[in-house]
Amino acid sequence: MDTLARIKNLAVKELSLDPGKIDSNAPLADLGVDSLTFIEFMFKVEDEFGVKVSDEDLRKIKCLADLERHVAASLQAAGKA
Amino acid sequence: MSARRVAVTGLGVVSALGNNLEEFYRSLAGARSGVAALPEEVTLGSGVQVGALVNWDPAARFKGPEAGSLDRVSQFALTAAGEALASSGLVAKAEPERVGVYWGTGMGGAHTLDGAYKSVYGKNDFRLRPLSVVMAMNNAAGSNVAVKWGLRGPFANFSTACSSSAMAIGEAMHAIRSGRADAMVAGGSEALLTPGMLAAWQALRTLSPMDANDPAASCKPFDRRRGGLVLGEGSAALVLEDESHARARGARILAFITGYGNTCDATHMSKPDRDGQVRAMVQALNESGLAPGAIGYINAHGTATIVGDVVECEAIKTVFGDAAMRIPVSSTKSMHGHLLGGAGAIEMSAALMPFAEGLIPPTANLQQPDPACAVRHVPQKAERGEIPRAVMSNSFAFGGSNVVLIAERA
Repeated sequence: MDTLARIKNLAVKELSLDPGKIDSNAPLADLGVDSLTFIEFMFKVEDEFGVKVSDEDLRKIKCLADLERHVAASLQAAGKA
Repeated sequence: MSARRVAVTGLGVVSALGNNLEEFYRSLAGARSGVAALPEEVTLGSGVQVGALVNWDPAARFKGPEAGSLDRVSQFALTAAGEALASSGLVAKAEPERVGVYWGTGMGGAHTLDGAYKSVYGKNDFRLRPLSVVMAMNNAAGSNVAVKWGLRGPFANFSTACSSSAMAIGEAMHAIRSGRADAMVAGGSEALLTPGMLAAWQALRTLSPMDANDPAASCKPFDRRRGGLVLGEGSAALVLEDESHARARGARILAFITGYGNTCDATHMSKPDRDGQVRAMVQALNESGLAPGAIGYINAHGTATIVGDVVECEAIKTVFGDAAMRIPVSSTKSMHGHLLGGAGAIEMSAALMPFAEGLIPPTANLQQPDPACAVRHVPQKAERGEIPRAVMSNSFAFGGSNVVLIAERA
């Protein structure tokens, strides 16, 4: 399963999003994800992929597609991809 | 203070005796105890043998990730408040700015804290969940209730150990009387049966050992064989409402809260003080305007500690004089355990049972009354009788806080 699909699966499970309606380019706020929920979600994402997202990077993530790019880059940097 | 009367229009309960009011009352009526031997994973090396655990499946009550984002103490609170609000029919008919939440809890999110300590000190893993703070904080349970139903009026969280939720109810009554709110969700919850908390309680040497013949009978208030308190967990919530507001919407009125006493012993952190308890009972009676003889049932604090039960009975005799031998007194902690921050609310709910069912809840396991606790007991079996005009509920806490509530029949 590719990274984006895994992130979407996690979003369905942890954020109770409708799998058919996830637009990975939509701002997270438009998906009903507030800042606290997002931080908790990122904790699960870090667990899922074994990566660490810095506070600075975290602030740049506005949608699931951004998140996928950060995770993919982190995996590559760690030699996991 | 205006003459607004404060009605009880909703009740909800989560306890070892059942997770709704009906089951709770049925257990009290049958003198059924929810106390049992604690499973090994709860007690670990703490040495605590018995407790009153709630039978609880979060996944069955909260959808998807919600269960994991609420400490057990908040799950209990939301469930009890949900039942109370549903039975009152209030939410759709009130202005949210005029409805508030006053809650009580001693330890707040103890399970979240316990989990965090386990991770940090047990595994040297400092990577804690981002929700740790908002799950563990003491005001989380009450805040979750406010958020869930959009209750935007006055909010407060009381943390005065075993009187916390009684204080929440008394202060909520005053908030309505003073005109700050039309209705309040008032109650409390506690969920601290974790190995670390049990070890701390065990160290205090105030917990009852397990009754080897019958673990369910381990808590024996007022009995000469009593050996201390039994910890419980759970929650209770009351919907309090200005009488005219309740009547205007055709709500069912279960009772009126008419007296609230609040004093501090200011003598000792744990030793109970008769004078402080007496002053709280007298204050509550004075506020209600009732003569002591109008009280037809007292739900005692009655923890089953050696000293506590004697002091409370002396205080009751001081306040009620000769009437103390006529007024039924019981401790329902013998069945639901000591809910600490949730005790005042669950015991106020028990104290209202005579109004609803015409039954006085008993002190379970009271077979050999201690002569030093000579009041009019309700031993072992619930008693059916005339519906009393008024009832009293006592909550006396570590730290010296004494809270007494009086309710009158509708």
